[in-house]
Amino acid sequence: MGSVTSSRSAALFGARDAVGAAGVAMAATFLAFGAAVREAGLPPGWALVACWAIYGMPGQLVLVQAASTGFVGGIAPAVMGAIAVNARFLPMAIAITPLFGVHERKRLIPAIPFIAVTPWAAAMRAFPEIAASVRLSWFLGFGLTSWVVAGLAALAGFYVAGMLDDHARAALLFVNPLYYALLLAADVNKPAPRRAILCGAAAAGLTFILPASMGLLAAGIIGGTAAFLWGRKRGSR
Amino acid sequence: MEAADIALALTALACLMLRSAGVWLAGGLGSDHPVIAWATAIAQATLAAFVMLAIIAPTGALADVPLAARLFGLGVGVAVCLAFGRNLLPALLVGLVAMLALRAVMKF
Repeated sequence: MGSVTSSRSAALFGARDAVGAAGVAMAATFLAFGAAVREAGLPPGWALVACWAIYGMPGQLVLVQAASTGFVGGIAPAVMGAIAVNARFLPMAIAITPLFGVHERKRLIPAIPFIAVTPWAAAMRAFPEIAASVRLSWFLGFGLTSWVVAGLAALAGFYVAGMLDDHARAALLFVNPLYYALLLAADVNKPAPRRAILCGAAAAGLTFILPASMGLLAAGIIGGTAAFLWGRKRGSR
Repeated sequence: MEAADIALALTALACLMLRSAGVWLAGGLGSDHPVIAWATAIAQATLAAFVMLAIIAPTGALADVPLAARLFGLGVGVAVCLAFGRNLLPALLVGLVAMLALRAVMKF
């Protein structure tokens, strides 16, 4: 990949990478999401817009759950909950921006909607092998392909909802955390990610004592900060 | 406009703002800046916490799968990933099959 210097080739490589393990994980998760949207009584267009406009599964699921109860608690708490569980977009955007090697922020506007867990994690893994000048193209190729996969899978899930029993849905829902676990495991030989993984996993227990919508965010901030300080103390990143 | 549509529009707007704010904040920083290292650690820790919760204490249909089967699938998947050059797709499929196999065995 380091030899890829044209934007077109990099975008194609990104698209190719997006239909591998990432595509399988994405399709499985969004298939289950589409089925959940139908069961909540929402239309297929809503599923598609949620996939493409939010593009963050935990937040999408918070809204579907609220819709399935008719928003009995009101719209505001549901929206706040969805934003809180997707708040990781902020540190992810901060972390990935310098890696694009782009000095003009305006050039990154097309990439903004694609900053989500799957493209972010894949990019953090792939970028060291990609020339800085074409990383943005790779990311756009990956992100756009993931978007299409997610949307089509959600629509497919909506229309096959009745055919998915709990066992099938459980299998689909297992693919997503497994994929993320593999992405993390692939980085475990590097000190900084290893510290973040250990601290994040340890901080996950906070979600049992905090409100559900805030627990994951708190675990990430506390675990990540602990990992960062640990790294500073050891004098390496 | 239905409540679900309003909630969707507001959430989508907020998510776009979060992403844009991150890009804007980091725009002037180098990749070796401590803020970038901190943000990266938070993002990775959040992902690790998400995985931990999804495997140990999931909600929904996945909660019906025995913990042992979830852990077995995870362990096998990670082992295959590390043993075979960090190739994710085979590891993903083997891990999924391992989880399903143990779940099926535990039912008998």
